[in-house]
Amino acid sequence: MTQSNNMLAEVKDLRVYFDAESGPVRAVDGIDLAIGQGETVAVVGESGCGKSVTSLALARLVPEPPGLYAGGEVLYEGRNVLGMNEDELRDLRGNKISYIFQDPSASLNPVFRVGYQIAEALRLHRRDVKVREEVINLLRMVGIADPEERARVYPHEMSGGMQQRAMIAMALACHPKLLVADEPTTALDVTIQAQILELLTSLQNQLGMAVLLITHNLGLVAGVAHRVYVMYAGRIVESGPTEEVLTRPRHPYTRGLLDAVPRLGGTSERLKGIEGVVPNPARLPAGCRFHPRCPLRQTVCEEKEPILEQVDAAHASRCHFWQELSET
Amino acid sequence: MTTQMDNMEQSARTLWSDAWRRLRRNRLAMICLWVVIFYTALAAYGEVVYRWHQWKDITPSYQQTDLDKQYLPPSLFRQPFTVESGAEVGVMERMSSGLRELARHPLGTDGLGRDVMQRLIQGTRIAYMVGIVVSLIAIPIGVVLGCLAGYFRGRVDDVIVWLYSTFAAIPGLLFILAIAMVVGRGLLGVYLGIGLTIWVGLCRLIRGEVIKHSERPYVAAAHALGLSHARIIFRHILPNVFHVVIVTFTLMFPAAIGTEVFLSFLGIGAQGEPSWGIMISNARLRLWHGVWWEMAAATTALFFIVLAFNLLGDALRDALDPRLRTGRQ
Repeated sequence: MTQSNNMLAEVKDLRVYFDAESGPVRAVDGIDLAIGQGETVAVVGESGCGKSVTSLALARLVPEPPGLYAGGEVLYEGRNVLGMNEDELRDLRGNKISYIFQDPSASLNPVFRVGYQIAEALRLHRRDVKVREEVINLLRMVGIADPEERARVYPHEMSGGMQQRAMIAMALACHPKLLVADEPTTALDVTIQAQILELLTSLQNQLGMAVLLITHNLGLVAGVAHRVYVMYAGRIVESGPTEEVLTRPRHPYTRGLLDAVPRLGGTSERLKGIEGVVPNPARLPAGCRFHPRCPLRQTVCEEKEPILEQVDAAHASRCHFWQELSET
Repeated sequence: MTTQMDNMEQSARTLWSDAWRRLRRNRLAMICLWVVIFYTALAAYGEVVYRWHQWKDITPSYQQTDLDKQYLPPSLFRQPFTVESGAEVGVMERMSSGLRELARHPLGTDGLGRDVMQRLIQGTRIAYMVGIVVSLIAIPIGVVLGCLAGYFRGRVDDVIVWLYSTFAAIPGLLFILAIAMVVGRGLLGVYLGIGLTIWVGLCRLIRGEVIKHSERPYVAAAHALGLSHARIIFRHILPNVFHVVIVTFTLMFPAAIGTEVFLSFLGIGAQGEPSWGIMISNARLRLWHGVWWEMAAATTALFFIVLAFNLLGDALRDALDPRLRTGRQ
């Protein structure tokens, strides 16, 4: 993961802080991330660990103030996004990097018809196409039956899954090279979740775009992502190929997340959660940030923060004892 | 197929038509709406009469003084004023002259023999002029400043809040009087005076709503699409807060009319034109001699228009309030 030439987007040592009365809140605190062309990368973590902020920072969408880009850089095709001016950013957003958000019912403007909202993205970035037909095409592409009718409907008249499909159509309107999906299925029924993920995967193959999937559900990434980053309290604690991370986790937090995923055909014992909650980013614990909740903590964890050590060429873990976690 | 048709009918019911449906079920609101329509028709009629006389360059009847007809009380049927004594008057002649006299000065005349009803209609015209012009001044100011303050926050917000707080701190009437003094007596001073003070409430409301909406995910989604600030504010957020403008308009309109009447009563409003305020001011001279009709006509007209607009505004607020829109969103 060290070569940077063929990477579509790269995040280097990114720090995003928020102003608070008690001092800066370090929501994202030194993150390195890379997304290759056409690759699916997942960022996994609990609520409040900074994964959404990371995803927004890719197109400099964290509102400033209260947000503050305190350091590091975000490269898109080698250009620093954080140094772009307003016009360049507008050209980047929606055109090269597109977003779909958690709650589709709130992310669509309630007063406009769905077709109009998709057309707006088209008019903004692709002046050459015939808008009407392209809207219908997009709606058909995301699997909405009867697209002519559906384009004339208001968002509240659609089901949640349908709304998310419409959001995806909007995001894909300009054939972005990178689609950021910020918990795209969290607000949806389980049955719809699978459909939406399937849709994303097939669209990705069809259009050859890269996908950054943000989720708190480690079980979700299994069949979807090529690589996965596990985030905790503003830092990456483990990264590697999905297979590798899911089957041989080298960080106790990843293991905790895995244990918290219900499994079909598993034993009937209770699901194991992780004790405690994500620390308040304004008052991070000393040493390893996970140590207050870690089942394997030692005294060294309270004093010294571990570095992200390479387990092998592609797999890294931020734990003093990753070697001991090798076989389970 | 039928369900599909139903669906389509459902989708044809937009947020606005939904509010209209809700409003129609409210009987009081519908009565108020008809009252407002009635006043509007009167004002339009008054405008036509006014323009026609202006075009013909003749003194309109509501300005013509006729000292023979001073202080005629209201009456639907009036005997001819001059009765030729001794002449034989047949039944048919009586009938036709009676018909001619039917509804002449139904609301009586004032101290200069001018028809109260016609003056009342001209008063309605002036009231509407004031309501409309004031809204045209105040609504753009309030909406634009409120949107900018609520959307950008920070320094912009500070300046705008400071501005409207300053305006709100000056006693309204004093400010209006000051402006009227600067631009001179007459309706221009009234328009400016009211228009430049009444936007504060609207601005405050819009600012609050826009702050609320700026944090909605659909605004974040619009940012992520790469839309410009202006487009997000005026194309995406404004339609979502526009119900505030409508409701404020229905409350602003009667408030402006009331202020105009008051200013005209004081003598710094309409000049030489029959505003309700001038009618009230004139009527007070002979009120204790039993000449009640001019006062009654002007105050009743004012009362009902203010009442109708206010009740309609309340009903509109209920109809447009998204929180009351159950099963939607």
